[in-house]
Amino acid sequence: MLQIDLAGESLTLLAERALWWPAQSTLLIADAHFGKGLTFRARGVAVPSGTSDDTMDRLAALLARTGAARVVFLGDLLHAREARQPALMTSLAGLRTPGVEWVLVRGNHDMHAGVPTELGLTVVDEPMLMAPFALCHHPDARPGHYVLAGHIHPALRVEAGGDRLRLPCFAFGPDVGLLPAFGSFTGHMTLEPEAGMRCFVAAADRVLEVPHASARRRGKA
Amino acid sequence: MSDPEIPSDEPTRADVRRIVASSSLGRQLRAARAKQQREQAAGQTGERVPPRPARRARRAGGSLPDFAALQLRIEGLYAERGWRVFEFQRAVWAYLQQGRSGLLHAGTGSGKTLAVWLGALLRAAAQPAPGLRVLWITPMRALAADTALTLGESARALGLDWDVGLRTGDTGSAERARQARAWPQALVTTPESLTLMLSHDTARDQLGGLCAVVVDEWHELIANKRGVQTQLALARLRQWNPALPVWGLSATLGNPDHAMQVLCGPGGARVAGEVDRPVKLDSLIPARTERFPWAGHLGVKLLDAVLTELDASPSTLLFTNTRSQAELWYQALLAARPDWAGLIALHHGSLSREVREWVEAGLKNGTLRAVVCTSSLDLGVDFLPVERVLQLGSPKGVARLMQRAGRSGHAPGRIPHATCVPGHGLELIDSAAARRAVAAGRIEPRHSPEAPVDVLVQHLVTLALAGGFDADALKAEIRTTHAYRALDDGTWDWAMDFVSRGGASLSAYPDYRKVERDAGGRHCVPRTDIARRHRMQIGTITADSAVDVRWARGGKSNGKSGGQSAPASGAAALAGGRLGQVEESFIGRLKPGDCFLFAGRVLELVAVRDMQALVRAGNAARGTVPRWAGGRMPLSSELAQEIRTLIALAAQGDYPEPEMQALRPLLDVQRGWSALPREDELLIEVMQSREGHHAFFFPFAGRPVHAGLAALLAGRISRSRPITFSLSFNDYGFELLSASPVDWAQEFSAGLLSGNALDADIEHCLNAAQLARRRFREVARVAGLTFQGYPGQGKTARQLQVSSELLFDVFSRHDPDNLLLHQAKLEALQDELDADRIAGTLAAMRAARHCITRPPSMTPFAFPLLVARLRERLSSEQLSERVARMVALLEKAAGP
Repeated sequence: MLQIDLAGESLTLLAERALWWPAQSTLLIADAHFGKGLTFRARGVAVPSGTSDDTMDRLAALLARTGAARVVFLGDLLHAREARQPALMTSLAGLRTPGVEWVLVRGNHDMHAGVPTELGLTVVDEPMLMAPFALCHHPDARPGHYVLAGHIHPALRVEAGGDRLRLPCFAFGPDVGLLPAFGSFTGHMTLEPEAGMRCFVAAADRVLEVPHASARRRGKA
Repeated sequence: MSDPEIPSDEPTRADVRRIVASSSLGRQLRAARAKQQREQAAGQTGERVPPRPARRARRAGGSLPDFAALQLRIEGLYAERGWRVFEFQRAVWAYLQQGRSGLLHAGTGSGKTLAVWLGALLRAAAQPAPGLRVLWITPMRALAADTALTLGESARALGLDWDVGLRTGDTGSAERARQARAWPQALVTTPESLTLMLSHDTARDQLGGLCAVVVDEWHELIANKRGVQTQLALARLRQWNPALPVWGLSATLGNPDHAMQVLCGPGGARVAGEVDRPVKLDSLIPARTERFPWAGHLGVKLLDAVLTELDASPSTLLFTNTRSQAELWYQALLAARPDWAGLIALHHGSLSREVREWVEAGLKNGTLRAVVCTSSLDLGVDFLPVERVLQLGSPKGVARLMQRAGRSGHAPGRIPHATCVPGHGLELIDSAAARRAVAAGRIEPRHSPEAPVDVLVQHLVTLALAGGFDADALKAEIRTTHAYRALDDGTWDWAMDFVSRGGASLSAYPDYRKVERDAGGRHCVPRTDIARRHRMQIGTITADSAVDVRWARGGKSNGKSGGQSAPASGAAALAGGRLGQVEESFIGRLKPGDCFLFAGRVLELVAVRDMQALVRAGNAARGTVPRWAGGRMPLSSELAQEIRTLIALAAQGDYPEPEMQALRPLLDVQRGWSALPREDELLIEVMQSREGHHAFFFPFAGRPVHAGLAALLAGRISRSRPITFSLSFNDYGFELLSASPVDWAQEFSAGLLSGNALDADIEHCLNAAQLARRRFREVARVAGLTFQGYPGQGKTARQLQVSSELLFDVFSRHDPDNLLLHQAKLEALQDELDADRIAGTLAAMRAARHCITRPPSMTPFAFPLLVARLRERLSSEQLSERVARMVALLEKAAGP
């Protein structure tokens, strides 16, 4: 994990691909895509089961470790309508503990998947304002607030010393910050960092800042 | 591998502007459109199907004269045209009369097509029946139309009332419906379209009455999964008619008996065509070899010499190994000879069909003096006016060079003539080696793949769509094919489980739906959306998903592209005319506003949407060269062995070919700085640079083997200590680059080249190098796990999009015993690494005298490896440590 200051607040970047805001005891999770494997199988594509369990285990561990009073899902909690199966919903509901609020900022996949009422989620449309931040799914600028968003599934190509890797990353621009996708079964989009953007890669159990100029030049190669 | 895709000699900006202004491709497109409009105005479909006899006459059954009468007509036709009936033609006709299958192999232009076609007609005449009689399978869609035309013409020349239909991915729904109402007597199709026909329950009615099947260009199919798909389709046809004769046509191969057995099974005949015509092979040797570039940077340096050759010949084909090189050469030729606009053209697989057809027509009637092309013109009907073939860059294979040479010299009194134009210094050796291999008759063999699970899985679903199947009967049917002759029950059961339950264990995927068992015990696909998706996915070849390149049209809107897309992707509302197709991975590297060269134009990317790249005319000053992956060809091992011999000869001071004479200055540099290895020596060059510590090995065993050896050596060293190697390999050798030094002599004595535990080590290193992960891309697509999007797809399809890399990781973690994973590993082992030859080469490396040199500078042999773009990595360090080290390096590079 790694501490950064953003818009005057201190935030913790977690190697599990989530963001922890201690002052508000809030855990931010983007693009969990629960039930994606289920969706594939239901439509005749034989993807193995176990990816949602994986995602769930990591979420449970984070909840226990941070002791968060609030979890905000920045959209795409469920992958599609087929994901709303009793077994998955029961397991998810099992992670709920009294006194911990779960909020879903609606993302594009949630529009089609619908909201699982059995989880007792608070559902809001973006932006969810918690000054100084606007919590969103889509990374569109919101004047007056710093946007924290998902949707993109950002990854960064790191290249140095003859070695090369593509890793999920956090990316903070002047007005908008991107969170990596939390789900175990999610693809990534390689970012081309722009001027004034700080990037942090999640590499196994560590979060590391990647110097910007080099990453960008190499990324295009 | 010296990369042929990054030539340094791009045209200047002024050149590009001039080229675009006078682009002949624009003219090509306009001409093609005008032609199509004329045809439409004349009430035709615009599809190049031979003119049909009156509809009513066709329904009457396309009757044939009886066998004897037809034979007389054939003899008459030959006499009338002054042709001689070759012995091999008579042999094929006689075999077909007996109902025997076989393979006819000969060089191009030897009358193979006519021999088999007339044989099939004779057989049809001897066994008259209504409906479709002759099925003609061809590997390329582009060839199908020409073939149908040729077959139809020769039938008409015999006075036959036969209709030759066309059924490919290009065939429109109206034509398909018409065929369903009244089948033509002969049908030209592709393996994919045939499989698609077999996925319908009407297939038996349509195809059950065949009296002969011809597989054209079988050498193109035998060694790949499309060939396996063909084997499976033939097995089904033979179920309906066990005596169905199948004839293959093939170019010269190193192993014609195997090719025949795979296609025909036991009892097939093998017929060799007339003795191959003489072929002239030479090289364009630059006048000043002392300034000859070392690697991958020659580009169009030999342009002047090439122009001289073009001036001397009325019609020339210029073959390149990649599409991007074809684009570059086309631009360079136009820039040098603006007056040739309209007389030279470009032909590659990414261009739209109308452009390709226009070019082919121009070649046939002799109006084009030069065409720059890729393997897209390797096959096909002969272009009579073509006198000369230029091979730009290494031919990479003996058979390929012969095939390409055979595209020229068909006019009376001419012989095929191919000239190799080297892309860089060392490629001159390739040309000399290829000529020696041709002279010695050492031609690459091609082998059928063994029981690929992905194709099996696809076939099961295909046949489940066609009204369902009985499992035991189908197992027996599939085992009649060569590829699956040894299919074991375990694999069969797994495949059945995979399509019906998603996996081997009973409780694996309770939510899975695909193939289900009906009340009668037959396996079917009840869901129509799954059926539709599968039919769209049938086909095993498209290497990379392709994106249509279209003109952007209409106003701008703030449409958002689907899935995981960049935030700012404002897209033009409408898509206009189609320019062609490029790989998705190429477009994926571009941002809106970026410019690239395509189809002879500079284009600016406007947006990517629904598998379409919308473009507008770009600013020439910002044009970048497209770098397509397409057409990366490894050097064949036959050619590699010949090269080894030539270098060993040079080491003894013997330069037997003109190419070797020309290369002497370069080889002298190599000898002076390092060494020229004899055949019993292994050359290793060690040096240090800013990048780290390099070791270059030169076993000259061909690229696939080097890829494996590089991973093997890196893997063995990295097992004993944490180290990361960056690997690079080409046809001549491989490079291991590491941040810390390696004492090679000590590693050798510690058993680095040992043959012990080799299989396990290869397996281990294979995993680490993730070759299998890359292989899984094709496997997942064939098995229907990844779904290629298509224009106008809905949200539901987009929610099924996933990268094969991600899937590979998910399978590896949650279903490691999945046979498709094993398939990917096996393919990587056999095709990419060639495990048997790795063992052989390793043994030779052990036995060889090790010649370790420390050259003062990068040698001519090492340089191409240094600039090779494709690098593999192999590491035993923890991921986070690796990243931390990389970050530290980047910070150092960025400075305070």
